[in-house]
Amino acid sequence: MLLLAIVAVATLAANSARQLRYMAVAFFGVAIAAHLIDDGSLSASQIVVSMCAALVASAILFVSARDRRYGEDPGWRLWLATIVAAATTAAAFAFLRPATGDDINTNLLGPDPSGVTTEVAAFWLLSSGIAILLTARGAVRGSLGALLMLTGTQLLVRMVPGPELALTLLLSWLQVVVALAGAFLIVNQRAAREA
Amino acid sequence: MIEIIGLLGIAALFAFTVRKRVALVATVTLAALAATIAIVVFMPAEASGEVLDLPWRMSELGRLAAVVLLGTLALMVLAVWVDQPAYNFFPTALVIAAVVLSVLVLTTPIAIYAALLLGLLVPVGSFTFQVHRNRSAEAAYRHFSFVALGGCLGLSALALSASLGRDQPPTTFVLLVVILVVAFALKLAAIPFHTHAALLASEVPASALALYFGVLVPTTFIAFAEILVLSGLLPAIVEIGKVQDLLLSLGLVSALGGAFLATGSSELRRVAVYSVIANLGQSLIGIATLSGPGIIGAMSIALVTGLAATQQLLAVGTLERRAGADRPSATTAPLAALAFVVGGFAMIGAPPLVAFPGHFFVELIAYSYSGLLGTALVIATLGVLLAQLRAAMAIFRSAPDRWRVEQRPIAGIVGGLVFLALLIGGVQPDGFLRPIAAFADEFLRALHPL
Repeated sequence: MLLLAIVAVATLAANSARQLRYMAVAFFGVAIAAHLIDDGSLSASQIVVSMCAALVASAILFVSARDRRYGEDPGWRLWLATIVAAATTAAAFAFLRPATGDDINTNLLGPDPSGVTTEVAAFWLLSSGIAILLTARGAVRGSLGALLMLTGTQLLVRMVPGPELALTLLLSWLQVVVALAGAFLIVNQRAAREA
Repeated sequence: MIEIIGLLGIAALFAFTVRKRVALVATVTLAALAATIAIVVFMPAEASGEVLDLPWRMSELGRLAAVVLLGTLALMVLAVWVDQPAYNFFPTALVIAAVVLSVLVLTTPIAIYAALLLGLLVPVGSFTFQVHRNRSAEAAYRHFSFVALGGCLGLSALALSASLGRDQPPTTFVLLVVILVVAFALKLAAIPFHTHAALLASEVPASALALYFGVLVPTTFIAFAEILVLSGLLPAIVEIGKVQDLLLSLGLVSALGGAFLATGSSELRRVAVYSVIANLGQSLIGIATLSGPGIIGAMSIALVTGLAATQQLLAVGTLERRAGADRPSATTAPLAALAFVVGGFAMIGAPPLVAFPGHFFVELIAYSYSGLLGTALVIATLGVLLAQLRAAMAIFRSAPDRWRVEQRPIAGIVGGLVFLALLIGGVQPDGFLRPIAAFADEFLRALHPL
């Protein structure tokens, strides 16, 4: 639960940041906390691969800012994105949570084998990402939204039985490519605006 | 198979490092594509294996689609090399070749989807050019947003459906299938999710547009059909008619909307792009009928439309460059103009091209489904025909005293080669349709697993 709280707070920090570099750092915080949520199926290799991808993605965004001040002011979009994300998370959890009939037991620090924490974090990140992406004016917040959504997706894919390491690798590559494409667009949009 | 995909990846990295030496990078790209096509052709039937516990299989459809799509990619590389050297295009083409192969051979839905997303994001670099003079950066950003949104939603829906037990309430599966369908509609630019495609059509280079609509969109459609089969969601679609209705509605709106938008377009590239969207609408209807002929027609239309889009968009690029600030005209590039016109024949599914059986099957099955649906599809085809006729008349409006073939007529040659391939396919349709029919069998078996 503590990691879930860190995910939520770090997401809000990334969402409210005006500077791209702060966004990148906050996103790395989100990714670390999200990938460390233990639902009993975590393996060291998966954590290492996911963390590396998150670090590379954050570094790409950080470098693409080129200076400390560059970014996008969220303004009212921050509140809209937060409210929509909170409402959608609750709705998604209510509709898509497996109907197992088991009691939900969560604790503050230990692992959560029921997977509730992982699911809530995934739905929160997906909802926040969608809200940020849909209200973004440019590639700065658009990239953040896409990366948050992808982190949420990684959490959901982690719960799928099957070739876990292969899927983790694929999604980690995808995260790096999303960050690269986002950074490319950030640089180009900035060049177009400053011309 | 992983070795071939890996080699394509290494070739892409090499191409990226030497991308400004156009002759070298183009030669490497063509050689890599030709070698991959040869390996795919000579690979044993139903070859299979595993990579990191991830199974793969070269199905009959996979082989056919790989040859068609990689062949299309090779023709594009040739055209870009000869006529409009864009050095970013070559590494992008190699990455997309690796992605196309991965999508066609992988058998795990989430892996197919993730590979597809990689492929859809890579052209962002090729879409963007001269950002001070046009809105290509905005178009590329919108494409990025649509792919990220649709991609993450679709992946999440697939992950949830794979992790949930089959004893969930039906509404849960309906919701997941609806999310998956909408996610693919976003990536296929199905109407009303086509706004990014409209901006791309007017702002990005014609070669990048051909890459997207000629290779990536057909690959996305094939991935959609494969994922439906492999995810085990098809029985839920059969049980709950609402999802089938959603697919039919999306297809119908895209077919009619695409045709009307094409009819109203004065730009050649928009005519080509909206014709593709109209044809994809027909393909969606073919899949939505959940019948053998419908599925064969849908897959056939998707593949042939990719070829026709390549023909037309490469021709448009040449016509626009030769015309400069004037309207594109056959007087400046007659062979490219001819390639555009013959591309229109494939786009409307005219016999004796291999484009015909697909359109025929889908329209026939649509009539058996409902008279209204069949009529709507015929109207959509007539709309595309009208749009293509208007475009052809606009290009050939003025005639010079003496026709003279343009310099470096590569778009015309590519158009001729594609037309020849479609003609041979039309004369011998069995070789083209049999692998698709094998896939349709798999699809129908997945519909009724018991």
